[in-house]
Amino acid sequence: MTENSPETTGEPDGGTTADPTNEEMSIETDVAGATGASNPATTPDPVIRSRDLDVFYGEEQALDGIDIDIPENRVTAIIGPSGCGKSTFLRCINRMNDRIDSCRVTGELTLRGKNVYDDDVDPVALRRRVGMVFQEPNPFPKSIYDNVAYGLEIQDVEGAHDEIVEEFLKRAALWDEVSHQLDSSGLELSGGQQQRLCIARAIAPDPEVLLMDEPASALDPVATSQVEDLIEELAEDYTVVIVTHNMQQAARISDKTAVFLTGGELVEFGDTETIFENPEHQRVEDYITGKFG
Amino acid sequence: MATDTTDVTEGFGQVSRSVGRLFRYLLLAATLFGIVFVTILLVYVANDAIQPLTADPGWHLTFFLALVLPTLAAGVYVYRRNDEALQTGALAVGLVAVALMFSGGAAMIFVDIVEPLTWLAFLVALAVPSAVTLAVVAYDHRIPFTGQLVATVAAFYLSLFGVPGPLGAVANIPPVVPGVFGLLAGVPMAPAPWLLVVLTVGGPLAVLGGRLVARERGRRAQLLAGLGVFAISVAGGVVGPTFGVHPLPATVVASVGLVPPVIYAANVAVNVPEERVGLLLPATIVVGALVGALAVDALGFAGPQSWVDWAFLTGAHSNNADNAGFYPAIGGSILLMVTVAVFAFPVGVGAAVYLEEYAPDNRVTRAIDVNISNLAGVPSVVYGLLGLGLFVTYLGQSAGTVLLGGVTLGLLILPIVIISAREAVRSVPEEQRAASYGMGATKWQTVKNVVLPRSFSGILTGTILALGRAIGETAPLIMIGAPNVKYSLPTGVSEAASAMPLQVYAWSSLYAGPDFYNKVVPAGVVVLVAVLLAMNSIAIVLRNKYQVGE
Repeated sequence: MTENSPETTGEPDGGTTADPTNEEMSIETDVAGATGASNPATTPDPVIRSRDLDVFYGEEQALDGIDIDIPENRVTAIIGPSGCGKSTFLRCINRMNDRIDSCRVTGELTLRGKNVYDDDVDPVALRRRVGMVFQEPNPFPKSIYDNVAYGLEIQDVEGAHDEIVEEFLKRAALWDEVSHQLDSSGLELSGGQQQRLCIARAIAPDPEVLLMDEPASALDPVATSQVEDLIEELAEDYTVVIVTHNMQQAARISDKTAVFLTGGELVEFGDTETIFENPEHQRVEDYITGKFG
Repeated sequence: MATDTTDVTEGFGQVSRSVGRLFRYLLLAATLFGIVFVTILLVYVANDAIQPLTADPGWHLTFFLALVLPTLAAGVYVYRRNDEALQTGALAVGLVAVALMFSGGAAMIFVDIVEPLTWLAFLVALAVPSAVTLAVVAYDHRIPFTGQLVATVAAFYLSLFGVPGPLGAVANIPPVVPGVFGLLAGVPMAPAPWLLVVLTVGGPLAVLGGRLVARERGRRAQLLAGLGVFAISVAGGVVGPTFGVHPLPATVVASVGLVPPVIYAANVAVNVPEERVGLLLPATIVVGALVGALAVDALGFAGPQSWVDWAFLTGAHSNNADNAGFYPAIGGSILLMVTVAVFAFPVGVGAAVYLEEYAPDNRVTRAIDVNISNLAGVPSVVYGLLGLGLFVTYLGQSAGTVLLGGVTLGLLILPIVIISAREAVRSVPEEQRAASYGMGATKWQTVKNVVLPRSFSGILTGTILALGRAIGETAPLIMIGAPNVKYSLPTGVSEAASAMPLQVYAWSSLYAGPDFYNKVVPAGVVVLVAVLLAMNSIAIVLRNKYQVGE
């Protein structure tokens, strides 16, 4: 957080919606002010907002009354112990949970003001606006080119795919390594390269939000650091929501942090610095300092 | 616990393992039981069919020196150098054998069943509307789906049947404009049949082979390699007549039997230099066999009086065991297998994809699931009864035709195809599906782009193994009234056909006599088993390739 935020102020505080969670909104405005230089037009309107979001797997409750406002063009980290529902929350945003028969969602989760669980929302169309990167690198057993072009193919994107593929491989910091072997299989790359390929694939159709489910947990330290650098760069253009086990990682790359604890509740949400240095709740402090979890 | 000090100095004592050892050898016996007995039977049958002991000792010695010894030496040498190269070489040898067998079948089809001109007309009549379809899909996304569907179906219909086609025949309208198929099939001045085969079979193989062999050498090298491959097909037709072989079968054998091994060998030689040494093995075998054959000819050694000989493979049944042949039965089996594959593959894969990807997890699905497994165990004679009752008695088809046999055998292996295809579809990792859905792909796009390509070789493997079951089935064919003995090849799917197992059954029952029992039946069994092994070996190679790819 600190190393990538030039100390610039002057961002107007206006545009804050009338919102009951005043404390969180004020923190968010601060953050917007802190990193606003790269994107002066940003308003602190949350891109993703959930209210009283409950998720059940059969009888078991996985998320309990989640209220959160995720700001635009920032990295929002979700941390918490195993089984706290952080991946479940991430998969609510692009409705990947729909694929699990026993999963039931109540409450409200809006993307730019539209509840994604409304009846008239097509989950396929939603997922075209919300890209996703998974825990294990999962490139298709196709060529590197076809992997990146996959989203363009399925969405019938017009125009020159060659240029788009090149552009997004460059965005994913992979172009220099693979430009001479675009026709070889994506599975021939190393783990870290595969994950960057998956990131290129996810952003090539130009989504608004990028969800990342522990994207570096299967990678070695060098590859992890490359992926982390990439995530920080991506936040200039995308709203990134990242689930991670690794608290140092959250501290390094995120602007805002949400702490989920066992029972599927969101215990604390705010500026990453505050969460890590001066958390409000004792349970959060215990978790962050490693007393449990 | 008091321990005697003398025990300690003598060691820790022994724990008996005799029961475990006995158990282990019983398990080994159980493992080998079937294999040993079938092997003994096959050796016995092969001995009867080929009768190797009737050959001159000089014949055996010549081939031992020219073929067996050099092959062993080459094998050991290659193994010492690089044992992966030995696998590559063994695969090349297998490919030569299998491709030659298939070329025999293909030659049979082109000579006696489908005229090359008809084949060409059919291909072109399919290619034209396919191109139209691709153009429609590629150039305009704005055409609605129904429009595309109508245009596509119309293109295929017009190309294959013309105006008004079968619809007109129903309404008694005379044909006005022939389709592409009709136009081409009726061309009065067609080039020689073998040239058509060169064009339709050798051409595509040359394109594929050229691209594969010279894939890292640029377009010019690809073109040259392709021309080289093409030359082999052409050479078949040109050189064949000098050896007294009709140019048509010679071309087919060259295109289907020689070209694939050559492409494989060239690919290894050019692109996998570290395994190049493995090619020594097939080279030794081919050269050794040729040298051996020339040598026994020159030295005047007589070969074995095999019953599996050219006359047996190309002749029809005769009441005299000496003249009995297998040709109509082989051709009938090939036609039956094509029909079975055309029917069972799409239906089986469709059912498998539905059950794995689309079907909701409820009681109906589970009931279907259980019943498909049960269907796999229904005796084949019952399927024969179904074919007889449904198609002959109820629908009034004539008994014993290729179509009827193919559909009946297709129904028989359908559960096996479904089960193995489901297995293949299920083996596609869930992360791959999640990746596709996460990109905003629809179910159809995910199945088409991710699931089917990834599971295709597994599906193919299962289907080939299931076809192996169908090719040996006798009972359903008897039930549907397939003729035990047929003296000529069927020339279409609506003609009656015999099949290899049926012909063997007829020889061992209707024409039972010592000659048939001891010579003709074993010869038929050897051919049947050889075809089966060739099919299964393709399945095994595919499966290994698939597993390596993971």
